Amino acid sequence: MAPPKRRGRLSVRLLLWFLTLSLLPLGSVAWFLIGIAHESLSNEILSTQQALAAGFADTVGKYVSTFKNVLIETAGIEEFAGMNSVKQQQFLNRIMQVHLAFIELSVVSPAGVELMQTGRFLKPNPEMRNFAGEDFFNTALKRGLYMGRLERFQGLYPTMTIAVPIADPKAAGPVGVLLGKVSLNGLTQMLGMEFPSSGRSQASVIAGDGFLIAHSNPKEAFKPEARMGPELVKIITTQNEEKGGGPLLLSDGNRLFGAFAFVPNKMLEWVVFIQQPMDYAERTSAAMLKRTASIVLVVAICVIPLAWLVAGNITQPIRDLRDAADRIAKGQFDEARELLPLDVSNEVGQLAERFDAMREALKEKTDELVGAKEKLEEFTHFLERRVDARTRELKAAQELLIQKERLAAMGAMANVVAHEVRNPLAVIRNATYFVRKKLGAVVDPMIAKHLKIIESEIQQASDIIDEILDFSRTRDLQPTKMPLNAFIEELLSVYPFPGHISLVKRLDASSPNVAIDITEMRQAVRNIVGNAIEVMPSAGSLGIQTYTQGEWAVIEVADSGPGMPPDVLDKIFAAFYTTKARGTGLGLAVVKKVMDRHKGDVKVESALGKGTVFRLYLPVQTEPRPGAAPPPSQGSPTGRV
Amino acid sequence: MADPNKLLIIDDDAHLRESLAEVLELEGFECHQAGTAQSGIDAAIKLNPDAVIMDIQLPDSSGFQICSTLRKRSKSTILIMMTGRFLSSEEKKQGFELGADEYITKPFDLTELTARLRQLLSRPRPGA
Repeated sequence: MAPPKRRGRLSVRLLLWFLTLSLLPLGSVAWFLIGIAHESLSNEILSTQQALAAGFADTVGKYVSTFKNVLIETAGIEEFAGMNSVKQQQFLNRIMQVHLAFIELSVVSPAGVELMQTGRFLKPNPEMRNFAGEDFFNTALKRGLYMGRLERFQGLYPTMTIAVPIADPKAAGPVGVLLGKVSLNGLTQMLGMEFPSSGRSQASVIAGDGFLIAHSNPKEAFKPEARMGPELVKIITTQNEEKGGGPLLLSDGNRLFGAFAFVPNKMLEWVVFIQQPMDYAERTSAAMLKRTASIVLVVAICVIPLAWLVAGNITQPIRDLRDAADRIAKGQFDEARELLPLDVSNEVGQLAERFDAMREALKEKTDELVGAKEKLEEFTHFLERRVDARTRELKAAQELLIQKERLAAMGAMANVVAHEVRNPLAVIRNATYFVRKKLGAVVDPMIAKHLKIIESEIQQASDIIDEILDFSRTRDLQPTKMPLNAFIEELLSVYPFPGHISLVKRLDASSPNVAIDITEMRQAVRNIVGNAIEVMPSAGSLGIQTYTQGEWAVIEVADSGPGMPPDVLDKIFAAFYTTKARGTGLGLAVVKKVMDRHKGDVKVESALGKGTVFRLYLPVQTEPRPGAAPPPSQGSPTGRV
Repeated sequence: MADPNKLLIIDDDAHLRESLAEVLELEGFECHQAGTAQSGIDAAIKLNPDAVIMDIQLPDSSGFQICSTLRKRSKSTILIMMTGRFLSSEEKKQGFELGADEYITKPFDLTELTARLRQLLSRPRPGA
């Protein structure tokens, strides 16, 4: 069995439920919030980028238009259209002074021959060039305007060429073409200022063929053959919209947000592109996720002990019920009640109440059972005692019966034997008498002695027969009520005590009344006194006293003889047992029989070398009061043996 | 000297009967014997003895029976019952009622018996 204070599986289960219920919603909500945050951040980034891209596309268009307009206005001035070289030189110088972006300015004749050339980095007296076959020249001459022809000045710096026709109002067609090579470094500077390299975003301006016109990082823009990757160029140039953007997954594994906007100029296929690695948003999401995870962890740490406490609280009454059930199983009903959670005001409390009712009923039944068992045991004991007592009575009755039958059989046999022996004894006695008579008075002393021996032996044989007959006969007891002392005094006064015996007599002053058959009781006492005298042949003291011991009057006869060993003591009251050379072995058997007939008892106590004490117990006769119930049956006399 | 007193001894034990008869003859009695109750009664009728000494236990009858029969015939005859076994008071009482004068128990003291016989015989008896 589990120790009583241990929490069960129910507590663990409840704990798990609490954890699930508290952490699952938290985790789900956090997950959705992170998703939403990620998406809105992405959208925010994208829309910002798109706005920026559109703005820059506008700026770039205006920037380029400025230079176009300068050239168009200059070509439209009359003085300039007059093709006066001096005047034209002045205008060109002026433009170069005001607009630092112009690197070269040329005036070309309608035939394509360069008439005038101004440049910031030109050697003195430069060679005039022929542009007759050039696309930009022909376009400007025939259609009015050209913008394009992207090149890298000195192999590094991006430039574009603008060509406008010089139209003289007086003439029918153009009188020449004004050419300008414009540096586009200003765009890179603008992007660099707006998107510094320390920021997350990069911005670039590209031509439709991938030519990198400008970049927020000057190192990217100002290098030979600077181009944008063909993959991105393809993505951008295949867009149908003027502007747009979205997340991009490149083949090299880079993920980024990209936004584009076409520069609003029909002649240019330029695109402003702003890009930002996607990992910023992802990092943000990851950080949120991390924070959420730590919150979940903290919540879990807080919930576990709390839930453990609550689970313990919820399951405590159930455990109490379990412990109470254990107590009931052990039969400890009152202790079980102390454990019951009766003060709980829910279903468990109701269960405890029912449980208590059940416990009460069980206790009652158990008590009844125990009571019944005790009664049964008591009754069983009573029956056993009754059976024992009855058995003892039966046994005693049986023994008495056997004894009686034995005595009767012995009496019958003794009578026969006595008759048969007595006849020869009588004949011998007659014969002896006859011989003695015939011999007369004068007789040989030896014959006289032997005749005496014969007569004496006949007498002894006759006495033995008398004794046996006396013992075996069943005569009715003739009790006489008399004071015990009177009986003893009368007996002692006629008893022939030999001289060597000193008699010590001590009689009970109260002298209780006893009911005795005087003949038999006299015989019994005489037998004992006779034995005592016999064991003290030379000298000795004979103590005779009477006293009362409870319901019993006691006659005590003590001698100072040699005493008897225990094995002899055990047999002395048996009939025909004797230690004498001659004797029937009936003397003490007669005593025992007489005492039994008087509903008394005889006990003996002997110590070797010190002597023997016989005690005869007789029931004390109390004066019967009129109407009094007969005395209860006698118990066994107490006394040492 | 007067005629000796006639005694009849009835006992089935011949030795006892004879020894008792011889002793009593030695004492001066005239003794007759019988071994059975019937022969004893016949002898008593024929001899008319002064005293009859009879055993109680006889093969054909009991001494009480003889006693009863003889007492009916003669008031003066002295009837002495002789026994070898123990007699209860009831039995003795019955014997006396039937007319017995004395009981003696074997083995009896002959000195006492002769003295008792003489005393009984010397008493005045009806019809003697």
